[in-house]
Amino acid sequence: MKGTVKIALAGEGGQGVQSVAGIMVEAANDEGREALYIPNFGVEQRGGVSLAFCQISDEKVGAPKFRDADLVIALSDRAVRRTRQYVNKDTLFIYDSSIQGIEDELPRNAKKVLAIPALDIAKKELHPRVFNIIIMGAAIEATKIVEMEQAKKAVEKRLGYKFAQNPKLRELNFKALERGAELVKESLA
Amino acid sequence: MVEKAITGEKRAFMTGNEAVAWAALAAEAEIMYGYPITPQNEIMHYWTRLAPKYGRKFLQTEDEISAGFTTCGGVLAGKRAFTATAGPGNILMQEAMSMAEMLRIPTVVVVQQRGGPSTATVIYSQQETTLTCFGGNGEGLRIVYSTSSHQELFDYTIKAFQIAWKYRFPTFVLGDGYQAKMRESLYLYNPEEKGIPLAEPYPFLGQEGRPGVEREPSHLRNTYNTEEELYQIISRYVEDYERMTPEVVEYQASDFEDAEIVLIAHGIVSRAARAAVKALRSEGLKVGYFRPITLRPFPVGKLREIAPKAKKLVVAESAQGQLFKLVQEALYGETVPLEPYFKPGLGITSEELVEFIMF
Repeated sequence: MKGTVKIALAGEGGQGVQSVAGIMVEAANDEGREALYIPNFGVEQRGGVSLAFCQISDEKVGAPKFRDADLVIALSDRAVRRTRQYVNKDTLFIYDSSIQGIEDELPRNAKKVLAIPALDIAKKELHPRVFNIIIMGAAIEATKIVEMEQAKKAVEKRLGYKFAQNPKLRELNFKALERGAELVKESLA
Repeated sequence: MVEKAITGEKRAFMTGNEAVAWAALAAEAEIMYGYPITPQNEIMHYWTRLAPKYGRKFLQTEDEISAGFTTCGGVLAGKRAFTATAGPGNILMQEAMSMAEMLRIPTVVVVQQRGGPSTATVIYSQQETTLTCFGGNGEGLRIVYSTSSHQELFDYTIKAFQIAWKYRFPTFVLGDGYQAKMRESLYLYNPEEKGIPLAEPYPFLGQEGRPGVEREPSHLRNTYNTEEELYQIISRYVEDYERMTPEVVEYQASDFEDAEIVLIAHGIVSRAARAAVKALRSEGLKVGYFRPITLRPFPVGKLREIAPKAKKLVVAESAQGQLFKLVQEALYGETVPLEPYFKPGLGITSEELVEFIMF
C-alpha cells in the first residue's frame, strides 16, 4: 500500500456519508495510524450533495483536501457529477448501480469504474438503514485501510449504545460491512 | 485555583475547535466570552460543556463587539480571558482589539477564518490575514500566530496566553474553517508538566490599597489630549514591540540552501506547500519551503536571508495577496522575483502546487 490513501465519499444529505467517513477514520486512528477527515459543509441545513474527504497514512497527513483520490464512492447522480473532478488514472470509482441515467457522465479517465448494488442489497437482504455501512465495507475492501475486525470495533464504538438496546442491530451492521466488502471483492475478481 | 483539566499526555482524535477548547483549559483560561459564528461555534460548545467541570466560566454576549469588550474586561479584572470568532465577527471585534492595543490589554482571540468579504462562505479562507494583523485604527501592535494543524492549535493557544500576558499585546491564534472542522490526531498535555510556563495574570483594576499612596495608580488611558502626548505613547509601544520581536518571531524553513524556487505559504496552506516541496524534490527540482508562523511580527530576518539565494519565490495563499503584501514589505529592496498563486476563499491542494511549479 502506498503512503497515503485518499478517499472521497459523496451522496445526498441523509445517506450517511459523513457518519461512514467518521467511523472509518476513527478505526484507522484507533489502529495507531494517521487519519484526517474533513466534511464539505455549506450554509444549507439539509439537502445538497454531502461530500467527505478522508486520508489515511502512516505519517502525518498533508493538506486536508486533495485533487486526486485513490477511491471515489458516489451514491447519487449529483454525487457522480460532483466527484468526477477527483478522478485520475489511478482512481477506483465506485457508484451505486441503482443510479439512473448517468452512463454518459461517468468518469472515463479512472483506473476502474465499478457499479455495486448496495442500495438494492440494503433494501432486499438487510435493512435500508445499513446502506451506508455496506458502503463502508466496500470502501475498506477497496483500499485495505483497516482490518475488518478493526472496522467492526469502530462500528461497535459508535453504535454500541444502540446495539445494547437491540443486539440484532449488531449482527445487521456487521453483516452489512461484510456484504459491502464482498461486493467489491466479487467485482474486482 | 482552577482544577487541572489534563494530566499526563494523551493522544486524541478530534476537531480543531475541540482542540482549542482543550488548549484553553490546559492554559488555565478562566473565562470565555463569545458570540456564535460558523466555523468557530464548537469552540464555544465544547468550552461550555467542559468549563463547569473544571470551575471555569462562560458568558454569551449579545454580539462580537460585546464579546471583544467583555474579554478586555475579564483581563482587566486579572483573569486569563479569551474569545473566538470568524469573518464578520472578527470585523466587529476589531473595535475592542483596538482598545486592547491602546491599553496594552493581553487579550487572546482565536480566529477561524471563513470566506469573505461580508457573509461570503462559512467554510474557509485566509482572507482575515490583514484584518487580524492590522485591524483597528492603529499600528497593528499585536501578535498573530498562524497555525497549520491541530497540534499547533493546541500548542499556540496555550502559548498565546503566556505571550500576551508577558508582553501585554493582544494576541491572536489565526486558524481557519478547515482546521476548525477537520478531524486529525494530536497530543493533549499539561503544559506545566512539560515545563511550559503559564500566563501569570494580575488585575489591572480593583487592586488592594489606596492608589498613589500605597501603590502605583492604574492609569489606563485610551484618550489623549494632545498630539505630542499620543505620539510619545505610541512611540514607546512601538519600541516595546520591536524589542519583543526577536523573542517571539517564529517560522519554519526547509530545503532552502540550494533552492532555485522557494515556496512560501502560511497556515493550513503550508501543509500543501510542504507536501509539494517533497514531491518536487523527489522529481529532482530544487525547491525550498518557507512558512511564517508569526504573521505579526513577521519573520523578516530569516526571509531576507533565504530569498536572495533563490531565483524565484512563489507565494501561495487562499486570499488575493494578503500574505504576498507581508512578504513584499519584508523583502523591500531585494530583486528576487515574486510569483503569486492566489485562490481567495478556496482551498489549495499539494497536487495543484506541484503542477504550478513544474509547468
